[in-house]
Amino acid sequence: MKKTISLLLAALMLLSLSAVAFAADAPADRTSFIMGIDPEYPPFSYLGDDGKYTGFDVEVCQAVCDYLGWELEIFGVNWDEKLIQLDSMECDCVWSGMTILDSMKEAGYVISEPYYYNTQVLVVKEDSGIDSSADLAGKIVAVQLGTSGEALLNEDLAELAGTFDSILTCDSFLKCFTELQGNAVDAVFVDLPVAASYVAKNEGLKIIDEELGAEYYGIAFRSGDAELCAAVDEAVQALVEDGTYAEIAAKEDYAEIVENLLFLQD
Amino acid sequence: MAELVRGAESTDAPSILGICSLEKSFGSLMVLKDISLSVDRGNVISIIGPSGSGKSTLLRCAAFLERAEGGDILYDGQYAMQNGVYASKAELNRFRSRFGLVFQNFQLFPHYSVMKNITEAPILHGEDRDEVQERALSLIRKMGLEGKEKAYPYQLSGGQQQRVAIARALAMKPEILYFDEPTSALDPELTGEVLKVIRQLAEEKMTMVVVTHEMPFAKAVSNRVIFMAGGVIVEQGDPREVFDDPREERTRQFLRVFEH
Amino acid sequence: MTLMTMIVKMSEGLGKTCAIFFLTLLFSLPLGMIVALLRMSKVKVVSAITRFFITVLRGTPLMLQLLAVTYGPYYLFGTNVARNKLIPVVVAFAINYAAYFAEIYRGGIESIPIGQYEAAEVLGYSKVQTFMRIILPQVIKRIMPSVTNEVVTLVKDTSMAFTVSYQEMFTIGKQIANSQTSFLPFVVAGVFYYLFNAIVDYLMGRVEKRLDYYR
Repeated sequence: MKKTISLLLAALMLLSLSAVAFAADAPADRTSFIMGIDPEYPPFSYLGDDGKYTGFDVEVCQAVCDYLGWELEIFGVNWDEKLIQLDSMECDCVWSGMTILDSMKEAGYVISEPYYYNTQVLVVKEDSGIDSSADLAGKIVAVQLGTSGEALLNEDLAELAGTFDSILTCDSFLKCFTELQGNAVDAVFVDLPVAASYVAKNEGLKIIDEELGAEYYGIAFRSGDAELCAAVDEAVQALVEDGTYAEIAAKEDYAEIVENLLFLQD
Repeated sequence: MAELVRGAESTDAPSILGICSLEKSFGSLMVLKDISLSVDRGNVISIIGPSGSGKSTLLRCAAFLERAEGGDILYDGQYAMQNGVYASKAELNRFRSRFGLVFQNFQLFPHYSVMKNITEAPILHGEDRDEVQERALSLIRKMGLEGKEKAYPYQLSGGQQQRVAIARALAMKPEILYFDEPTSALDPELTGEVLKVIRQLAEEKMTMVVVTHEMPFAKAVSNRVIFMAGGVIVEQGDPREVFDDPREERTRQFLRVFEH
Repeated sequence: MTLMTMIVKMSEGLGKTCAIFFLTLLFSLPLGMIVALLRMSKVKVVSAITRFFITVLRGTPLMLQLLAVTYGPYYLFGTNVARNKLIPVVVAFAINYAAYFAEIYRGGIESIPIGQYEAAEVLGYSKVQTFMRIILPQVIKRIMPSVTNEVVTLVKDTSMAFTVSYQEMFTIGKQIANSQTSFLPFVVAGVFYYLFNAIVDYLMGRVEKRLDYYR
């Protein structure tokens, strides 16, 4: 038994060592860039009608790559394992409406300038009689595994979460909403843009007007990739200045998020 | 020929087994054509013939393991099948208790001890457990298998397994016992012990029908020998006549192979 | 979070993992026999339909079946999604495993020589007696290795319940891994599954040994 554990650990160590060894790749020599996204996170990143990945983050990243002369490659991560996949070199960054968490910085990841301000909201059924988070005492709340909403309920909002009957953790926000519509849960705790877009498309749901946790979106890089991060940050700024960024944000698909884009606020 | 169908006509002392104009085919292939025979109490009948002659199929029809399509099968003058129509399931079950069958490959139940192989069926039929066990023990002794009561089939030689199979059949107290090539699956040095047991049963006037390739045995033990070929009974009669002075050319041809 | 707290938190989910495991076996082992008998039915329609269902259940991912059982009724008929996820999880697992067990049973039953049936028939065993006393015990011995295989796979498959948000051990492990940005919970999960299967292996080995008294 002991032998098995030590073997396993050895294999893991080898994996992480190799990740560190290959992490430093000078941005100047770079010709390609692998963007890690959650393929089911509209409007930031999702599978477009034409079968190709698109979304606000994807378009910005494409512009950045064009600007820097890189070939863009998109890699769909498993959201709750995104950082492990980043470490194992499956992608060069995680850029997909990702909430910046303190734990990421503590773990040594390099995080870009925050580019989006977000809040978490509660979505309930219109006829549920739930009008505030206080009404959720003894109720079941669904949250997507690996989202900042889940982290919030575990940490900053633990007190509120304590009043719930229970929290149901689903592996996609679609399942969260299915559970809500199928009456298995009473509320879904989710990012505002996701909530807004889902409620707009599905009848009988409402967003409770209560912002439950401010957070910022950023791009995560491996610990050795500070230079790469700086290069991307600079490129984004250049796009903001030449108006490309605003042009992308002006598209109708991104109407729900445009107000919260930090680089477009004065 | 009149003598042959005597059983079927249910005269004063009916034969144990009567078969009349039996027909059986596998698909379009006729394997039994117009077979008639009868077996009287205490008789030992040997059925010989080349492979594919239908002799095993005939035995299996008599044991209801194959469904015949035409003719009659009678036990003790009662119809188990009449003109190709079988009696009801319940009636067939009653007829089944009249005969026992010993297979070429023994077909012992491998997960049962020798004792349980022999005793389970009679006990399931509602017989007294102690009585059945006593009977089984005496059968085991008779088969020369003392001390093997608790053994499992895989621990026994082929000859021993076949003797257990005979004991198992006898434990049901059948009126007639069928043997389907009982020594064909055995190593040559083991056939003797099985034939000895059958011979002993013959001496005790057990009624038996034996499908066999053991010509000397057939000649020595049986009251009547039936030679089958191509699905018909070519010749039958006293073993000395059939073996030493066969009437039919086909029989002579067949027997020639066994002469040295 | 220390390793110890991870282990404690994850072992809380182990109860649910065990619930899936034992309930699935409880229902799928006998259900598989019924399916196997239907599959071998002499009525052509019955065996064809059964065969179709078996190919569907074996030919589509268990994860998809879990989703179908859990959310299918809501999308099709607008009925409520089950609050207690153990119910749809066990239903999906039991049906899926019954299909696999059915094929194992069928293989076992068909491997018994026809002569065994004939011997029993001549000795006057009824159909039911023949099956229960003569055929089934031999089948069980023959299929033990394949059944053990499936049972070991089941232990690992329980982790798939996460897809319908059933908070078993692996789901909790994933949650911890995510919130702690640590790989360690997966190592803990691996060790848990290994230990679970070591016990399963030992028990199945003992059963096989008990059936070793004949060949």
